[in-house]
Amino acid sequence: MRKVAFLLMFVLLLAACQAEETVQEGSQAAAEEQTVENEPIKITNGEEEIIIEESPQRAITMNQHVTEVMLALGLQDQMVGTAYLDDSIHPDYKEAYESVPVLADAYPSKETVLEANPDFIYAGWPSAFQNEAAGSREELKEFGITTYLHESSNMVHPELDNVFQDIRNIGTIFKEEEAAESLITDMSERIEAAKRKVPEQEEPKKVFVYDSGEDAPTTATQNFLNTLIEEAGADNIFGDIEKGWASVNWEDTAKANPDEIIIIDYGDTSVEDKIAFLEEHPVMQKVKAVKEAEYTVIPLSEAAEGIRAPEAFEKIVNGIYGDK
Amino acid sequence: MKHNRAFYRSSLFFLLAICIGAAAIASLMLGSASIPARDVVSLFWRVANGLSSTEMSVTDHIIWNLRLPRTILALTVGAGLAIVGVAIQALVKNPLADPYILGISSGASVGATLVILAGAFSFLGVYAVSGAAFIGALLTVILVYMLAQERFRISVTRLLLSGVAVSMIFSAVTSFLVMTNPRAEGIQTALYWMMGSLAGAKLEQLWIPVLSVILGYLFLHHSFRSMNVLITDDTTARSLGLKTGTFRMLLIVVTALITGVLVAVSGAIGFVGLMIPHMARIIVGPDHKILLPISAMLGAVFMVIADITARLVIAPEELPVGIVTAICGGPFFIWLLRRSHYTV
Repeated sequence: MRKVAFLLMFVLLLAACQAEETVQEGSQAAAEEQTVENEPIKITNGEEEIIIEESPQRAITMNQHVTEVMLALGLQDQMVGTAYLDDSIHPDYKEAYESVPVLADAYPSKETVLEANPDFIYAGWPSAFQNEAAGSREELKEFGITTYLHESSNMVHPELDNVFQDIRNIGTIFKEEEAAESLITDMSERIEAAKRKVPEQEEPKKVFVYDSGEDAPTTATQNFLNTLIEEAGADNIFGDIEKGWASVNWEDTAKANPDEIIIIDYGDTSVEDKIAFLEEHPVMQKVKAVKEAEYTVIPLSEAAEGIRAPEAFEKIVNGIYGDK
Repeated sequence: MKHNRAFYRSSLFFLLAICIGAAAIASLMLGSASIPARDVVSLFWRVANGLSSTEMSVTDHIIWNLRLPRTILALTVGAGLAIVGVAIQALVKNPLADPYILGISSGASVGATLVILAGAFSFLGVYAVSGAAFIGALLTVILVYMLAQERFRISVTRLLLSGVAVSMIFSAVTSFLVMTNPRAEGIQTALYWMMGSLAGAKLEQLWIPVLSVILGYLFLHHSFRSMNVLITDDTTARSLGLKTGTFRMLLIVVTALITGVLVAVSGAIGFVGLMIPHMARIIVGPDHKILLPISAMLGAVFMVIADITARLVIAPEELPVGIVTAICGGPFFIWLLRRSHYTV
């Protein structure tokens, strides 16, 4: 009986300590940006309103770019699982990544997700919430799991600021506002630095994004890659189509005569194969970019709306204007 | 002799009932999360003693809110598709007919892809996909039915041909929606839907498919004699006193409603509605009185096993169950076909 009482005391003490900690952190945040003390945090996420009473301790991330956002904020200790990489995790966060269990290579099933007993799920794409994956957000809410969908990945024409807002939201949810702000500052500084390399020009350079496809090419239209191309002062030849990705045709591509081709690297077709295909294509081989072998390779993970934006942007700027 | 047959039939029912029970229990025990069997038993014991869902642990939720509804839905969809298959094959007198022959799945696919890829019907909320699929399915059947009408009579050939034509048109519309949204986020979801999946089963919504299948079964069972007559030629049928026109119309309405509901909750799961009736016919012969219950039971067992496979084969990820029904069912069906001297 005394043992039980002792244990109970201990637990209570622990709880009290934790409560004190949250209060302290809360007041810090209040001092910085006038959040109301101890009140639940409300965040609008797309059409959903998320209410966070305590910062999550058992988060699951799905899709590489959001996993990297969490790791970049140093939140690996509050994660109980990750899933779905496009390629390999950013080398800076490899160690942190390996400390968190990988639930599945692609999307884990509902059972696997529930078995990990998460209190928060952070997904990059809405397909993470399909029935064959984690299940709908409403359903997860019934299990007491808060969900956050990376907003910038789910809009037409996302801006850099939208990505920053996502990082800021995650920072707020996990009470890591400072880490979030410093990550955002680092990212914008790198992007500004790269922007200074963009030369004065009369005609913007024309860029074609080659994602995949042989009969008809799939290309980036108004997605994040397009935003980065615009930021680099260049012109995406299919940037006027109002959706994220589109299937276009070789005729229009060749007619636009792009100066630069950005090849997205993922899946089973290698970059070499994609270039070889362009060089053998009867029409595309006549295009300026192909004749001059002006290719910039961007891995799929860098084309996503995440912390790799500066890296992708530097590659794009160097690819278009570099070494001339 | 007659006594023998009765014995054979009742032992067949008994055997199938045991199979259904065993498959259902296995379906509660197996999944990508490893849960010991005693936890499953203990949950049901606790629920029987008044455990409420707020007191449930994670494991309890996995069994009660994921595996149980899936198992019930699998039984329902399997049985439902099988009996609709039997009825449709009698209706059009064609062994190649399945519940989707009148274009139901293609119409439902258009509705579902419109929701998934283009965000249509958002006013229906969480029921948007099911609702749109059901509306798509019914509109298709009405269209096919109108096309098949000739001077207020339905000709089977016209029914089949308009079904095929409308299916083709709607499949093309679905393909168009998918093609114009390459790499769109919803494509995977749409594909899962088109191949059929039971992963969306929810306990509180189960009553709709369960009730439709039960009522449908009762109607079909009630009219087993008419179906027996229907598979003979029309003159014989009429001379035996069956109003073939009215009965066909009734059959179309009932099968379309059941299939529409099933497609709305589980997507277009193929093969079950085509194969199970033939399997049942190989086992018990063409009399609809026995063919219907045996088909329903076979369909239920087959679907539960297929769903277990879909959950386990690439765990912790999941496979659309429609892939399993075709890949596992196909060879088995061919084997059965080769072994017996079966003709319709």
